[in-house]
Amino acid sequence: MTPRNLRIVFWVLVACIAAMAIWLFVGREQARGRVGSVADDTPLDAPYSHTESITLALANDAEGTVSATERQIALPTETTARARALLEHLIAEYSLPGSPHPLQSGAAVDDVFLVPLPVIGHSIDPNGTPLPGSDHAPTMPVANTDPNAPQPKSPGGELAIINLRGSFVNAHPSGVEVESLTLLSIIGTLHANLPQIEQIRFLVDGQPRETLAGHADMLRIYPSRDTTVQEFLPDTP
Amino acid sequence: MPRLPAPVGPAVTPTMVPAPPGPFNRTTVFLDVSHGGTDSGSRINDSTSEKDVTLQFANKLRSLLTARGFTTVLSRDSDTATLPNSPDAPLTLDARAGMGNRARAVACLLLHATGSGHGVHLYSSELTPTSGEISGGPWLTAQAPWVTQSVKLERQLGQAITREGVPLVVSRASVRPVDSLTCPALVVELAPSGSESGSISDDAYQQRIANAIATALVFWQNTAQPPSRLVPAPALAPPPTVGPVTKGSLLP
Repeated sequence: MTPRNLRIVFWVLVACIAAMAIWLFVGREQARGRVGSVADDTPLDAPYSHTESITLALANDAEGTVSATERQIALPTETTARARALLEHLIAEYSLPGSPHPLQSGAAVDDVFLVPLPVIGHSIDPNGTPLPGSDHAPTMPVANTDPNAPQPKSPGGELAIINLRGSFVNAHPSGVEVESLTLLSIIGTLHANLPQIEQIRFLVDGQPRETLAGHADMLRIYPSRDTTVQEFLPDTP
Repeated sequence: MPRLPAPVGPAVTPTMVPAPPGPFNRTTVFLDVSHGGTDSGSRINDSTSEKDVTLQFANKLRSLLTARGFTTVLSRDSDTATLPNSPDAPLTLDARAGMGNRARAVACLLLHATGSGHGVHLYSSELTPTSGEISGGPWLTAQAPWVTQSVKLERQLGQAITREGVPLVVSRASVRPVDSLTCPALVVELAPSGSESGSISDDAYQQRIANAIATALVFWQNTAQPPSRLVPAPALAPPPTVGPVTKGSLLP
């Protein structure tokens, strides 16, 4: 005959095992739900089509130059996504072992915005009538009255606003040459592959920043140009 | 149906006419000793920061310039990077440019240092040169009228540094705050003399470079030409109001 206290211990242990099994099952279901919510299949970037030949303006710290290099990669067709993918490929090149311009790996570009030039704003049109079925007040375009505002060189010219990630900028090596080469590499790559971009402006986490890592100017608007050719001013008397 | 507004024309800019150049102190040199305080700049090696090298080099260059009769204005002469009259106010990049512009110096040298490369790297502004200095022009492109002079200064300093046998790299770059300076302005970046990064702090090496720069500036002070200024044309006086002519008014 089994003593009574042993039977009690036995059934308590059976109850604990059952409770643990239920707890594990519930925890597993909750974890599965969390993973499922993260793995959202909503498309964020335009679908990639086929590989194509693109030109990367690759920097070389030892020579202090930027040189054009052909690569075969797949890019999205939508222009903004294309510009962002181009820059991500460019920065990824620099994070490879043995890179002549070593940079930290990881995502570098948060967004790229392409703004038609000249930049105009919109304000509420006090005399306009709202569209039928719309609650929004009608707006009208307003030209920029600043004489120094960016102007297009040709019809269809665009201003590219590149929003870099703070993690990339904060980890960027410091130095006049290394910082300038990074900016020239970005500018040259956009110029070679997206000729409609005429001017380029940089932001970091959505905010203007004075320098990339203490040296290169990030406040100015850079003209898009072929940075593989070094510009020198002609001799003046 | 939304209506299109009437087209807005470009901003009316006043006609600009040339005026004599502004004041120009041919015996004053502005040295911007980069970084300082909590901003160490780039890491030269485990024991050396950019801010220490630039301060060490600036002190050498100041001594040599003073010996040649120059007045030298430094953005900082110690590790602290604060405004001279406001110890609590940080020395921002714009404040450094303001100090250089107020000095009306014959040359503004922005001193930097790097652990990569060799010798001296000289950079002038990437801005497109313009013909005259516009009163009240944009701050971020204030260097544009001075770019031609800056390139000439870059050439003269480059020749002097090459004569000293120091490797030289000459280029153009947008380095804050060079584009906001209203003087012949250059970024002077020191690099190690050899393969060892610690050689950048070598006294004899820095002395050679400082001597070359000081000698070149003696020649430069007589050749520098400030750009003419462009000021708004004076408004034409309105025609005098002609009142009714009376018979008596024409009489002597």
